Amino acid sequence: MNTQDKVTINKLPTGVPGLDEIVGGGLPEFSFNIIAGAPGSGKTTLAHQFVFANATPERPALYFTVLGESALKMLRYQQQYTFFDPAKLPDSIRFINLSQVVLEKDLGAVLDEITKEVEKTDPAVVVVDSFRTMVRKPQSDMDMQSFIQRLALFLASWQATTFLIGEYAEEELRDNPIFTVADGLFWLRQTAERNSIVRKLQIIKLRGQDSVPGLHTFRITDAGVQAFSRTFGLTARVKNPVGQRRLSFGVPELDKMLDGGVREGDSVLVAGSSGTGKSVLATQFIAEGICQGEPGIVAVFEERPQAYAERAVSLGLDLETPQNDGKLTILYLRPLDLSVDETMHSILDAVQKIGARRLVIDSLAGFEMALSPGFRADFRESLYRMIFALTGIGVTILSTVEVDESFTEFPFSTYSISFLCDDIIRLRYVSIDDQLRKIMVVIKMRGGNHAKDIREYEITSNGVVIVDQRLTGYQGLISGLPVRSNQSAQEERSSHDSEIKNQT
Amino acid sequence: MITLPEMRDLARRLLHCEANAGNTSEPVESATLRVYEKLRGNLCVLVGVAGFQALASRALTLARSEVPGLCAVQVAADGRLQGISEIVPPMKLDENWIDKEGVIFISSLLGLLLMFLGKALTMNLVLNVWPDVAFDDGNPRDGRKT
Repeated sequence: MNTQDKVTINKLPTGVPGLDEIVGGGLPEFSFNIIAGAPGSGKTTLAHQFVFANATPERPALYFTVLGESALKMLRYQQQYTFFDPAKLPDSIRFINLSQVVLEKDLGAVLDEITKEVEKTDPAVVVVDSFRTMVRKPQSDMDMQSFIQRLALFLASWQATTFLIGEYAEEELRDNPIFTVADGLFWLRQTAERNSIVRKLQIIKLRGQDSVPGLHTFRITDAGVQAFSRTFGLTARVKNPVGQRRLSFGVPELDKMLDGGVREGDSVLVAGSSGTGKSVLATQFIAEGICQGEPGIVAVFEERPQAYAERAVSLGLDLETPQNDGKLTILYLRPLDLSVDETMHSILDAVQKIGARRLVIDSLAGFEMALSPGFRADFRESLYRMIFALTGIGVTILSTVEVDESFTEFPFSTYSISFLCDDIIRLRYVSIDDQLRKIMVVIKMRGGNHAKDIREYEITSNGVVIVDQRLTGYQGLISGLPVRSNQSAQEERSSHDSEIKNQT
Repeated sequence: MITLPEMRDLARRLLHCEANAGNTSEPVESATLRVYEKLRGNLCVLVGVAGFQALASRALTLARSEVPGLCAVQVAADGRLQGISEIVPPMKLDENWIDKEGVIFISSLLGLLLMFLGKALTMNLVLNVWPDVAFDDGNPRDGRKT
């Protein structure tokens, strides 16, 4: 069959930020959907958002309330959400209570009542909330199945997109004929993870649509339900081409070590223990980008943006002006109950908003700590998705990570995420001549010929400054407890002897 | 609870509206009952018969504290008002005449809606039944957004 001969299914906006992406571009028009989940999981709110996004006076929405939450209280609470527009009632959205019919009559009477109202109103959207309360009435399975079948047929014929809302437990999903009839099945979950609540949404089925599989995090705020796609909404975003340029760190000697700078679109890991200057280097990286006309994002988890900007001032770097000019965004991501997808959403939105080319995540440890405990177990996998998604749109990422300083080992990262990074720069303390000094080494640079030198550096009022002379004459520098090499020691001894000779 | 002046004013307007509308050859009944019946018809659709019955009973209880004469009035299980004709006289031909009992009771009912649903939804609901009712706040009669 020719593509042109196929029917085009219109996609309706869900009214839920992030959900259109998850359902494959919008909800199929005239589809018959079920929103299932435990009480308090956000079913009614989601349905309201859809209704408010699609109802018009010409094609209104009919919202049938059955047993359960009283319509009065539902309206009282739902109007607190910003999407709730009271002016849409009753011309565009009509609430109809069916509790009396349900209590006093049978499902046939309920169907008759719905049919009567639909024929009278010609709605674009029909919601039955909560449809489950009708199911719990003593009826035979056949009655309910027949009711659902007839309702689905009728509403589809009347060109209505329908939502049935019901409280269902996960185990009820299997072998339930009601779910067979539905074109779309949305499952909302709410689970407690230690002290945090994690909400997840799954599109179990959606006929005719290429929906994104898996569990998607969502949050309920004063704006209603907001969903965060596992693909981070990147299919809907404009791709930025990855260039071939080298990006400067703003530290000339480090750029040389990196064969001219970081390759654009790379993921760079700066690892080191506390006080080695990871954040300083990250700040210089972002500030240099701004100087080069590349807007940047700094995602901070351990300090507030103001403090971050003030610390930059002490390094002679102005982060205030670029913030005011829209060239820099310092994101402070609310700690303790974030999901990676949610964090990503914030970062991607910021990237999109200012056209950022550089991103600093300072630090991965802070990022992990900011996540809800339930997400920490998936941190590595989430990080992979995040880095893949961001570098895919041409953003160069610099992540800092704190590693335990050991004087016998040289770990790159406590997260075992080095495989996610194109480039790794390791900072560490080293004990030389009774001084605690700092060294830097480029461990890895994918697709680049980086310097093998171990360079000493200092943190000054100008930020990280690499000492001119590279450290030579030591063995075991990366252990942190180097010893002078034999040759160097001999040279030193002979120099010392000749000095004594000269003196005598 | 004392009924809000704003709701008393709205109730008075609705009663006037019905008093005028009833000034025809239709069967004579109190303006209060006509306003109440119109509200009942619309609210039953929204909140169900049981929901409306509960709301009206509460409104009646609150109104009785201001107008003890309403003690003879009852709200039936189907939400209908019983006994109002005995205390509130049928509409008089003088359109300026509005009974105090009716004003207090209707304003009490509107006050509950205001408390539960807020001003915007309450006014939308009233305008849906009485699109031509005039308001004092300077808003156009049909103040709803389109």
